[in-house]
Amino acid sequence: MIHLKNVSKIYSNGTEALKNISLDIEQGEFVFIVGASGAGKSTFLKLLIHEEKANFGKIKVNGYDLMKIRNRKIPYLRRTMGIVFQDFRLIDKMNVYDNIAFAMRAIGSPEKAIKKRVQYVIDMVGLKGKEKCRPNELSGGEQQRVSLARALVNNPEMIIADEPTGNIDPKMSFEIMKKLVEINKRGTTVIIVTHEHELVKEFGGRIIMINGGEIERDEKLPTKYHPADITDSEPSYSE
Amino acid sequence: MKFSSSGYLIKEGLKNIWNHRMMSLASIIVLVSCLIITGAAMLLSANVSSLISSIGDDNQINVYLDYEMSDIDAIKLGSQIKKLPNVDECEFYSKDDAIKEYKNKLGNLYESMQGDDNPLGNAYKVQLKDLSEYKQTIEQIKKINGVVSVSDRGDIARTLTKLNYFVTIVGFWVVIILGVVTLFIISNTIKMTMYSRRFEISIMKSVGATNTFVRIPFIIEAMTIGLIAGLLSSIILISIYNPVRETASNVISFIGKSTIPLEELWGFILLGFSGAGILIGALGGFISITKYLRKEGGEILGW
Repeated sequence: MIHLKNVSKIYSNGTEALKNISLDIEQGEFVFIVGASGAGKSTFLKLLIHEEKANFGKIKVNGYDLMKIRNRKIPYLRRTMGIVFQDFRLIDKMNVYDNIAFAMRAIGSPEKAIKKRVQYVIDMVGLKGKEKCRPNELSGGEQQRVSLARALVNNPEMIIADEPTGNIDPKMSFEIMKKLVEINKRGTTVIIVTHEHELVKEFGGRIIMINGGEIERDEKLPTKYHPADITDSEPSYSE
Repeated sequence: MKFSSSGYLIKEGLKNIWNHRMMSLASIIVLVSCLIITGAAMLLSANVSSLISSIGDDNQINVYLDYEMSDIDAIKLGSQIKKLPNVDECEFYSKDDAIKEYKNKLGNLYESMQGDDNPLGNAYKVQLKDLSEYKQTIEQIKKINGVVSVSDRGDIARTLTKLNYFVTIVGFWVVIILGVVTLFIISNTIKMTMYSRRFEISIMKSVGATNTFVRIPFIIEAMTIGLIAGLLSSIILISIYNPVRETASNVISFIGKSTIPLEELWGFILLGFSGAGILIGALGGFISITKYLRKEGGEILGW
């Protein structure tokens, strides 16, 4: 799913953000990327979505060779992943439904499929009844759930969450993390960038620590949290 | 891009116009002004060309006789003109007939310009056989005793040719300069819309929207602004064309007959201007959104 070999990233100002990194992340893994500010976590995520290009090495993500990918193929790479931002990135003038539907409209999905799928992910993230609310009428936790629903709506193979709990209170953080675990149990790879060590200890999984642009630690912790069995079936696009 | 998205993209483009209505309105007003000036230059050029060709086709000249000449002398002079080899027809045109032509324009003055008070002289309307000998024939007529002047429309044709050349050159530059100005205006309007929607564009890019998908609403917005400006300017031009034509005919009598009637022009004006508006809009929108996507628009904001 993700394969990095001897990857280095040096910015034009000379900053060496990543130094000779090699790692593999398999389908269905639950991964925390941890590290101090400026350690290279964000650069790592930017390389995955091809927001930045590595200077050296090999990167393969969801079947795309990112060292050779053509510009017109980048949108299709990004459709294989959903991104959750720390600051939610919701459009103020749109309600919850439209914020989520926007991600499907942006890739040209038919309106019928949008209706079905959006309602499904709204229910999944626990926002039923809030469809008509604007982002400013929601709490931080609810806004992050909208952001999560938007990331999920195109049925991605992988969720990339950049500090998803950074702007919400501890109780809501726990709820968001539970949702991410639920999503992971459905087979979606989840990569979470965070600096909240408590959450990492609480939820466990694979922990990759980046420090000074290098991988300092890569280990698996036992998962303490087990979501209830998920019994509802997910509608497919073809429905 | 999927066909199913076309409705959504068109709606988004039209919504952009409404969301930035003041900017759109300002663009439309400036575009209408530019298109009217461009259109006026083109119409003037077309009409001057039409005048020149009608003068060229006209092989009739007027020969004006000495005011004091008696009717008998005038008849004798007529027979001299008829003898010239290049003269086909020679019709006497009395000063009474001449003043009658101005009856409507003169109004109350007409009655006071009868008989001896008629300021006009007798004349002959002469039809030529061969226009290539136009100049020589005029010279021969001028030499006949009693001929005061000859309406040498060749001079008018030459003046109009010069005017047409001038109008064409000026018109060409007007079209080029105002074309660039309109492109600039449309591009700036689209830039404003893009700036206010840069956050949405960024999210679109992060979820995998293609550049084509991002571009289309902006191009539709620009094309619609261009179309509205094209329609408005053509309506204005169509409604002022006839009054301007009539005023010009009142000043120079032969203009009325030789200019292009509105019936032949309105379809061209309407379609041409709407088409030009859409084309300039599409081009302006495409240039600015492509430039934006190539620079900052491809990035995910603040990441």
